[in-house]
Amino acid sequence: MEIITIKSLIKNYDGEGLEVHALRGIDLSVRRGEFTAIAGPSGSGKTTLLNLIGGLDIPTDGTLTVAGNNLAGMSAKELSDMRLNSIGFIFQAYNLIPVLTALENVEYILLLQGVGKSERRDRSRRILKEVGLAKEIDRRPKELSGGQQQRVAVARAIVSEPELVLADEPTANLDQKTGAGLLDLMHDLNHKKNITFLFSTHDRMVMEYAERLISLTDGMIASDKKKKSLKESAEKKLKKQR
Amino acid sequence: MKTFIMLGWRNLWRQKRRSLVVIFSITLGVLMMMFALGLMNGIITQMLDNSISTKLGHLVVHKKGFFENMKLETNFYPDQRILRAMKSDPDIVASAPRVKAFAMIRTGESSRGLIVLGVYPELEKKVSKMNEYTLADEGGSFLDDPDANEIMISKSLAEKLDVLVGDKIVLILQDSKSEMAGVGLTVRGLFQTPVADYDNSVAYMGIKRLQNITGLGNNISEIMVVATGKEAVDSIKPRLTAAIGDASLEVMTWKDMAPNLVSAVRMIDSMLYIYYAIFFITVVFSIANTLIMSIMERFHEIGVMKSIGTRPSQIFFIIMFEAVNLGLVGLTAGIVCGVILLQVLQFTGLDFSLFMDAMRQWGAGSIIYPFLYPKDYIITILVVELTTCIAAIYPAVKAARIKPLDALHYV
Repeated sequence: MEIITIKSLIKNYDGEGLEVHALRGIDLSVRRGEFTAIAGPSGSGKTTLLNLIGGLDIPTDGTLTVAGNNLAGMSAKELSDMRLNSIGFIFQAYNLIPVLTALENVEYILLLQGVGKSERRDRSRRILKEVGLAKEIDRRPKELSGGQQQRVAVARAIVSEPELVLADEPTANLDQKTGAGLLDLMHDLNHKKNITFLFSTHDRMVMEYAERLISLTDGMIASDKKKKSLKESAEKKLKKQR
Repeated sequence: MKTFIMLGWRNLWRQKRRSLVVIFSITLGVLMMMFALGLMNGIITQMLDNSISTKLGHLVVHKKGFFENMKLETNFYPDQRILRAMKSDPDIVASAPRVKAFAMIRTGESSRGLIVLGVYPELEKKVSKMNEYTLADEGGSFLDDPDANEIMISKSLAEKLDVLVGDKIVLILQDSKSEMAGVGLTVRGLFQTPVADYDNSVAYMGIKRLQNITGLGNNISEIMVVATGKEAVDSIKPRLTAAIGDASLEVMTWKDMAPNLVSAVRMIDSMLYIYYAIFFITVVFSIANTLIMSIMERFHEIGVMKSIGTRPSQIFFIIMFEAVNLGLVGLTAGIVCGVILLQVLQFTGLDFSLFMDAMRQWGAGSIIYPFLYPKDYIITILVVELTTCIAAIYPAVKAARIKPLDALHYV
């Protein structure tokens, strides 16, 4: 079952008198539970595509359906509600709310959804434990390392169990070891909770972890390959050796 | 809602120094507003109380027409019915009969026209403060015998007439038959009230002696009445008028007798709006400026909050709570400082001796005791919180309208 359906998606920008064609007719379907990376060089349109899927930007033309919602004609409030209830966001720069603790940052999404206090607390604590931050729940973002902050961001993105998580260059600010740990975590969550992950990246490691790799060039899909993820390959190798 | 209030509170302290500067300006504004209100209340109250405790009384009963012409022949006999009516009213504290007449005082040096008041010394102590205003250090004392051949004049009048306590003066007046009468009297004492024009225009003597000189017999000009409070007069007046039941007599309140004073009080009261306006303008701009700066600094963060599902209305409330918190901290600090200041001034008073002449012209006295009514605290709280809310509307709307994508690209 498709969670994202895109048909003939076009996005043009007015850039200082010149029209910039960011996306030139994208057709794409993403099935529920996929672990997909959108790769491509800078300016290829991957962040634009992610922004359009997340309802943060409006397409010039084409149709875009996310989690059963046709985004065309949705009001700012409806888009806001859709983002809150159906999509989790992970940003390159973590983007946690600096005045809130790790626990409060995660809880914030549930609060917006109107979840009761005790349930909010329990779910947030549980998810922070899952991402390995049980001891850091009362720390504010500036008291956490980059990797820990990104783990809080992952916890915040999945605490409400959204159908889709959009991650824009999630490992770009992390060292390789921390990045691999984070990808392991997201891959596990993808398998355990059947949450769809869609990354934009030009990090090779993310591409290797992905089970589907879509390459964008000049606003068009250059290739779309399904493959075994690096983690799965490594696990199979380990099983054979045993 | 609690989380949004908490977010607003924590955001407030991200730029401690900037927030503290705004809080300090609100505190100072509240303190100045409370001081100004307290001072105005003190001046107004003392102006009224001094006028009431000297020339007006809370209420006066006299023959119809006496207030307009003050003729000696417009007199009446204070029968038992009138006195009973006063004694039976629960809001009337004391009353004292008086004789009032235009007169002229002459000494060897000069002469002055004035109003001479005949009083029962013991009853007068209950309805006016003339006993307290008598200057003991000038060697005299307040009247004690209603039949004595003595007179009290003000210190300023004594200086103009060049007389001292114990000196003789001549009092010339028209009696009730419109014939001129003159009598020599001894200056028993000097007084100084807080009302300058009153001092220059009155003299006090025993009522019996004045009744003798003027030939009034046992008749009087008026009965001065003291009530439980200034505002009680509005309900006493119709009650007392009905109880007296004499159409030839009228009851007048201090408001009826001094409409100029009432107008002056209203004018001073309305001047307070100028203080509110000054406070409003100062605080509105400083809070709006602080919030706009804070929002610009958090432009990216607000964009992130909107990206992850925070509605524009919720962003609006977060900013509003930030302003409300800012106002509340400043307000609390200002009220605490204001209460302490006013408590101290309640004991020490504020000495305006340097402007004594001006203060006496107003009838306020040279030492003012500022105070606030409970309604003043409510008005102060409302003005501050309303001001901070109004100041926050523009920044809050601006924050609510931030486009998430623009903000995410903003570093």
